[in-house]
Amino acid sequence: MKKILHVAGREFMATVTTKGFVFGILIAPALIGLLIFLVPRYLTKAPPKVEGQVAVIDPTGAVVEGLAAYLTPERFAERRAKTKRDIEEATPAALRGPAAASPDAQAAMKQSIETALGSVPRLHVVVLPGGSDQEAAKEPLKLPLPDRGAGPDTRLAVIIVDADAVRPADGTEAFGTYQLFVRDKLDDRLVDDLHAAMREAIVASRLQVAGFDAGRITVLTSVPRPDSRTVTAGGERKTNKELNIILPAAFMILLLVSVMTSGQYLLTSTVEEKSNRVVEVLLSAVSPMELMTGKILGQMAVGLLVLVLYAGLGLLALVSFATLGLVDPFLLVFLLIFFVLAFFMFASMMAAVGSAVNEMREAQSLMTPIMMVLMVPWILWMPLSREPNSLLAIVLSFVPPFSSFVMLLRMTSVSPPPMWQAWVSVGIGAAGVYATLWFAAKVFKVGLLMYGKPPTFGTLVRWARMS
Amino acid sequence: MAHAIVLKNLTKTFGETTAVSRLDLTVPTGALYGVIGPNGAGKTTMIRMILSILFPDQGELSVLGRPSALEAKDRIGYLPEERGLYRRMRVGDFLVYMARLKGLDGQDVRGEVRKWLERVDLLDCEHKRCQELSKGMQQKVQLIAAVIHRPDLLILDEPFSGLDPVNQRHMRDLVLQEHRRGATILFSTHIMTHAEQLCDHVVMIHRGEKVLDRSMADIRDTFDPHRILFDPLDPGSDVAKLRSLAGVMSVASDGPAWDVALDPSASAADVIPRLVAAVTPSRVEIRRPTLEDVFVSIVSGGAAAAADDNARLRAALRDGGSEVRR
Repeated sequence: MKKILHVAGREFMATVTTKGFVFGILIAPALIGLLIFLVPRYLTKAPPKVEGQVAVIDPTGAVVEGLAAYLTPERFAERRAKTKRDIEEATPAALRGPAAASPDAQAAMKQSIETALGSVPRLHVVVLPGGSDQEAAKEPLKLPLPDRGAGPDTRLAVIIVDADAVRPADGTEAFGTYQLFVRDKLDDRLVDDLHAAMREAIVASRLQVAGFDAGRITVLTSVPRPDSRTVTAGGERKTNKELNIILPAAFMILLLVSVMTSGQYLLTSTVEEKSNRVVEVLLSAVSPMELMTGKILGQMAVGLLVLVLYAGLGLLALVSFATLGLVDPFLLVFLLIFFVLAFFMFASMMAAVGSAVNEMREAQSLMTPIMMVLMVPWILWMPLSREPNSLLAIVLSFVPPFSSFVMLLRMTSVSPPPMWQAWVSVGIGAAGVYATLWFAAKVFKVGLLMYGKPPTFGTLVRWARMS
Repeated sequence: MAHAIVLKNLTKTFGETTAVSRLDLTVPTGALYGVIGPNGAGKTTMIRMILSILFPDQGELSVLGRPSALEAKDRIGYLPEERGLYRRMRVGDFLVYMARLKGLDGQDVRGEVRKWLERVDLLDCEHKRCQELSKGMQQKVQLIAAVIHRPDLLILDEPFSGLDPVNQRHMRDLVLQEHRRGATILFSTHIMTHAEQLCDHVVMIHRGEKVLDRSMADIRDTFDPHRILFDPLDPGSDVAKLRSLAGVMSVASDGPAWDVALDPSASAADVIPRLVAAVTPSRVEIRRPTLEDVFVSIVSGGAAAAADDNARLRAALRDGGSEVRR
């Protein structure tokens, strides 16, 4: 056992101290952390205040009034307040709850929303006569901004309303529209506001001409969309669609990333030991089984490190939003159990492949079917998480090597399977691990000292029989 | 005397090829045995079976009194023919790792590693990565890995291959030091002179079968060529008259010297005074059998073999080429 631990220790240290591991595995979470730190700071930088004039050529004479009304600072403030309310309402209760409980969080959230919306623009609508020269009206848009920035006299946009925008031309039923010309690098939110203002002003004028009450129509066509509520034996709660999708995906990604990372390292280190010819020196000190077990345990520690690192980051995020309660601790225990099962199965195959080939290039053909098997739960993730109790999901959750991934997916879904199914899956998975280890150990024993022609899967089976 | 290694009727095949066939071998404790034979003779397969890296198809073995080397791995040191190191690992760390795998424990492992590195003049390489060392240096590191745990049995597979003469001498000295310490040593080589210089007992393997298993003294007696190398002081001397001396069978040129073949019944002690009296020599030397001669003589079945077959065998033994199996 001591020798196995020595092998495992070397394997772990040799992997986690490489630049590849440090940059590949540790840098990603560090970058995410950095983004989490930087983005709010970037967002708190308010965009520059917008001030200037919007020139309108309106031959209909019916649109400009609505446009001017829409672009008043008061109306801007009103609309921003409504958008803010909508964002707050759309925020999941899980996030809104803690924010409401903490004055600091509440203030930060409000600040973020206000910053994202920008400060209220001060726009002056200048009405140009219907027959004005359009090119002359656009000329001020080409002038550079004054050094002190845009002022009340700086022309920001020119809107030319079609003569038939409100009333169709004689003999037709089609309405005209408008043209919008803006200054270079104008804030795109302002452009959107101008479009929205024109739409509202034109529609209101058309309705008025047709004899309808625009306000009344708005009231009649407005149906607020209520939140759906999930009813369970434990009570009612707001249905959290986002979390229903994110949680199973997060668990499965965690499992896949940790298993694949450490499995890949195991393959690489085994091929390296074989191609460096160091393996025979090792075999004079330890048996092939001890060597393989040590290597698998060492890489399992690597996988666990990756798992703990990424899962820890996730949990930290949940803790920071006081939403840790969304994750059942029991699921974390199962994540660990299924990691061990999936890892042993995958890693033993990787060790077998690594022992059989002479260099990494040769491993590709043997790796393809293994990687495809690993990809199946990933490919089927969406249908499986939508229908976690479908026949396909149930069958796959009992068939190694898919079982670990699919059962975890089902357990984190909205309708988890009964607990006995989870334990049966664990039992079948353990039997699968035993069978895979048995096969891998046989191949490993023979393959380590075999050099020459790259083997096929048939060769591996023959070696297992031979050993 | 207890035996370090006992092989009985050991056979190993790979597909259609029989690598080792019905091999019997007994290596006494404390002996220094050489296993010789051309490349592909089956030496490495035999060694791997002794170490339980490979398992025989047939036969029994005992290593340090155990039925399998797996039960005595910590008492065995092994320098394989296919040598390797963790290229990116530091020399000191590699040796500590190997020492721990060999059962050496405690805090003094690092100190022991330093002692060994100092002994082979590599102390300044302790913190270097293995890939930074020259081939000779790497081989020294590998030998330390094989002996750092003071094994009772040291198995060296082609220990001199790839080394320059200076490093060959260093390696030979280290092997002899280990032997003097009391370790049983079994080493394989296809270079016969290495075995002649080191061994007190030689085992020859040819095509997977043992063809000779004798002490060096016994080999010298049995395969005494009954020849004397005679180098006249005056190159113009009439050497032809040596042919007429009692006990001399023939005289043939051998470069600047002469090869004097003796009658089977004559002894060198009787003939040498007669030779010296007839022609004044600058050098007279009793010819000793070389392992190369012995090997060629055994596997070729004496003089009956074709000359080109013998030449091919000698080339295989000298150059490390493998003899093609027929």
